[in-house]
Amino acid sequence: MITLPDNLKRPFADLLLAVADDKLMLGHRNSDWTGLAPILEEDIAFSSLAQDEMAHAQALYQLIAGLIGTSADALAFGRKSEAFRCAAIVEAPDEFDWATAICRQFFCDHFDRLRLRRLARSSDKPVADLANRLAAEEQIHVEHVDSWMQRLGRGTDESRQRMQKALDRLAAIAPSLFEPIEHEHELVAADVYPRAETDMFETWRNELEQIANDSSLKLDLHPPSPQTIGGRRGKHTEHLPPLLDEMCEVYRLEPNAAW
Amino acid sequence: MSGSANVGVHVDHARDEDPAKMAEFEAKINAGELLEPDDWMPQAYRQGMLKMAEHHANSEIIGALPEGEWITRAPSLRRKLALTAKVQDEVGHGQMLYRVSQDLGKSRDQMLRDLITGRTKYHNVFNYPAPTWGDIAMIQWLIDGAAIMNQKTLADGAYGPYVRTMKRINMEEAFHFKSGEDMVLTLMSGTKMQRQMGQEAFDRWWYPALMFFGPPDKPHAEQLPPMRWRMKTVTNDNLRRRFINRFAPAAIDLGLKIHVVKKDDNGMVIERKPDENLRLDETTGNWSFTQPDWDEFYRVIRGNGPCNAKRLALRRFSYEQGRWVRHAILRGNAGLPPAA
Ligand SMILES: [Fe+2]
Ligand SMILES: [Fe+2]
Repeated sequence: MITLPDNLKRPFADLLLAVADDKLMLGHRNSDWTGLAPILEEDIAFSSLAQDEMAHAQALYQLIAGLIGTSADALAFGRKSEAFRCAAIVEAPDEFDWATAICRQFFCDHFDRLRLRRLARSSDKPVADLANRLAAEEQIHVEHVDSWMQRLGRGTDESRQRMQKALDRLAAIAPSLFEPIEHEHELVAADVYPRAETDMFETWRNELEQIANDSSLKLDLHPPSPQTIGGRRGKHTEHLPPLLDEMCEVYRLEPNAAW
Repeated sequence: MSGSANVGVHVDHARDEDPAKMAEFEAKINAGELLEPDDWMPQAYRQGMLKMAEHHANSEIIGALPEGEWITRAPSLRRKLALTAKVQDEVGHGQMLYRVSQDLGKSRDQMLRDLITGRTKYHNVFNYPAPTWGDIAMIQWLIDGAAIMNQKTLADGAYGPYVRTMKRINMEEAFHFKSGEDMVLTLMSGTKMQRQMGQEAFDRWWYPALMFFGPPDKPHAEQLPPMRWRMKTVTNDNLRRRFINRFAPAAIDLGLKIHVVKKDDNGMVIERKPDENLRLDETTGNWSFTQPDWDEFYRVIRGNGPCNAKRLALRRFSYEQGRWVRHAILRGNAGLPPAA
């Protein structure tokens, strides 16, 4: 933190917001399954996953709040849609389709693990330490979701078809995760967001394709077009505003009050 | 939360139990020993325990629904996390109690199907609405509070697997109660709007909390099978008295007013006035109070409460949308579900 020049503060906050906002939205979507998942044992496990994502978001918001002078709750509940930095895929609703929920988690967890491992090498020590801790938890998520891909991909004809459909639908928006934030190259140059050791998109695609193949599923992923401007720059899908209206419904009744 | 206070045990007198075995069974119960699933027990006891554990399990997973609806609306990160974990606990209680029931001879799928088709019941208290965040605070304070009181006495029962499950559950319930207390305290020391939200929610939940313990005692409740066999160890009215003695003064301390209310068909309060019978009898240490509307209680139990249809519909939806997943996991070639 000591060495971060003023002109990198905002981009760094944006980068961390991208991580935290992805996690908050994903955790929020997943938490909606608590009490309604297909099997009681998995209801409990999936809820733990949701809680991890939201707790990760909270820890990151606390760091960001220190960086730009606000509070974690104000970041989570007090921003307008265009101030969020999450990617399109975490905004996507699942309509209580378990295949969609699992596939969404599949794309996001693999990406998150790579991104956190990269942040764990940051020259910013507090962020590096936190990312290191979170990456270890993501490892457990990845294993959990991979095993669901395999079980449902190789389960019955119906489950394979449902999974393939969800995978195809989400594969179109999953690369949105890779959209860079504004001034990302400056953070890379300053080693705050260290260069990836191998091409991140290729690594991600290979990981996912391998699991998909093991699961009797087909996966076709294309790198995001560099011209696309989306969630990382505050341009969101139509799903974000209603999500925020619901999430902030009580908070907005009395934004300055303790709840 | 939850806790099945009132499952009737039907004793089939036509069925002759071996008198020697019966005497041994009752001696064990009277000596305060725990019964295990493989021990001999009269058919009525086994059926009664199954009915009780199944009803309790149903109540846990239906009880997850009203609060589950508010996870996505919780007003801070801390509350959002705590509420998700709380509802997750309730699902975990359901899972443990279905295990106890399964060991008494009924499959989980059959239990879930009987629940959504209305063949079996769940606790009446979950048929009331939770229209605001204040209701979530009151549920965690009053209803989890009532559940702890009830379940502590159930943990003194005689059926080993159920007793052990109650002990585990009660440790988690203590956290729910603490967090409920904190939510209520936060609201009641907040802005005018927050205090009003708290009072209105309290008005909705006070009587369901009193009804939580079940209808007034039948004569000689202690001699009837549920208590004689220590399936239940304290009567409904005694539990209710303990609850009032603890919660009436606590509510008053928090600045809440205890009202007698009239509700519409949706469970919303349309009339309220202070409970004029509410007072502490210094000599007995007991609070007197206006009894709940027991006609309403029976109306709701028969399925005509504000939220009966809604709760069952959501449970059915969950059962149906998850069917293909269970089918793939249990009958596919990929084996058992992944461990949590
Ligand atoms: Fe509880
Ligand atoms: Fe419970």
